[in-house]
Amino acid sequence: MEVFFEQPIFGVTLTILAYYLSGLLKRRFDYILFNRILVSVVIIIIVLLVLNIDFKQYNIGGKYISFFLGPSVVALGVFLYEKLQELKQDLKPFIISVILGGLTGMLSVLGILYLWNSPEILAKSLIAKSVTTPIAIEITKITEGLPEITAGIVIITGILGNAIGAPFLRKLGITSPLAIGTALGTSAHGIGTARAFEISTSSGVYSGLAMCFNGLVTALLAPYILQWLLT
Amino acid sequence: MIKSLLLIFLFLLIGESLQYFFQLPIAGNIIGMGLIFLALYLKIIQLKDVKPASDFLIKYLVVFFIPYGVGLMVYADVLSQHWIPISVAVIFSTLLCLYLTGLLFQTFHK
Repeated sequence: MEVFFEQPIFGVTLTILAYYLSGLLKRRFDYILFNRILVSVVIIIIVLLVLNIDFKQYNIGGKYISFFLGPSVVALGVFLYEKLQELKQDLKPFIISVILGGLTGMLSVLGILYLWNSPEILAKSLIAKSVTTPIAIEITKITEGLPEITAGIVIITGILGNAIGAPFLRKLGITSPLAIGTALGTSAHGIGTARAFEISTSSGVYSGLAMCFNGLVTALLAPYILQWLLT
Repeated sequence: MIKSLLLIFLFLLIGESLQYFFQLPIAGNIIGMGLIFLALYLKIIQLKDVKPASDFLIKYLVVFFIPYGVGLMVYADVLSQHWIPISVAVIFSTLLCLYLTGLLFQTFHK
């Protein structure tokens, strides 16, 4: 029985089944905080714990699924090109705010962890927390953190931004849908972008662009920031 | 579809090779993302040649990182040991990043 679960088809099917079930559940319980990835992950973890299967055994099949993260990141470059035309004259404020916002996000995470005397491995795993998951995982591999922790925290960051981002910004006087979109994409990646699309299409497009662009900025800067701060 | 998939894989392969041979401190797929953007921008390839596979991959992006999310179960002890600084860092820095990005954009966007 042990060996049976080590066939790749087990992990592959379980992953797709869990995602399918999360879609059925979402139709019945549609809350803001209902997140299909989170629900899928919880379903799989419960199945593995009940059947007493190691993550390693599951991941023999899981790897076939996560392989597609690589080509998906390349596909984000296509998305960036396609939507960039919609920015036009807003390019300059867009670039300035995403770079400075993204940089502040990285430095503030590191600052708090440093003040708390947390182990270095946490700083290395959390520096990319605002970036879309596939890019964040790659950044963490380069910074030698734990990609699994990154993936979990990135999803939680996204849900946080999705749930409270827009009302938080409005309360502080940021009301322009384009500004809210840019902020959501920079700080809460794709999950924040889903919220921006509910505000307006252009808010969503700006959010998606901010997500891609901040992914690039973080990928370029994170290894150097860590090297500079940790030595 | 197959042509667009081939192009995406090709750019990924080029990115991974550059990373490998020059030992670059940036992941191969991110290099591939930058290169495919440039190739489209410089009209070396056309959007319609890559769009079918690219749209498919983006549509199911969330499925592909589920296994990493499940991997969190291996590190449950690390998380439960450090959950306070992690929560404070994540909440504070997400709000700060949101506010600053939004404020800068709204200020410069006239």
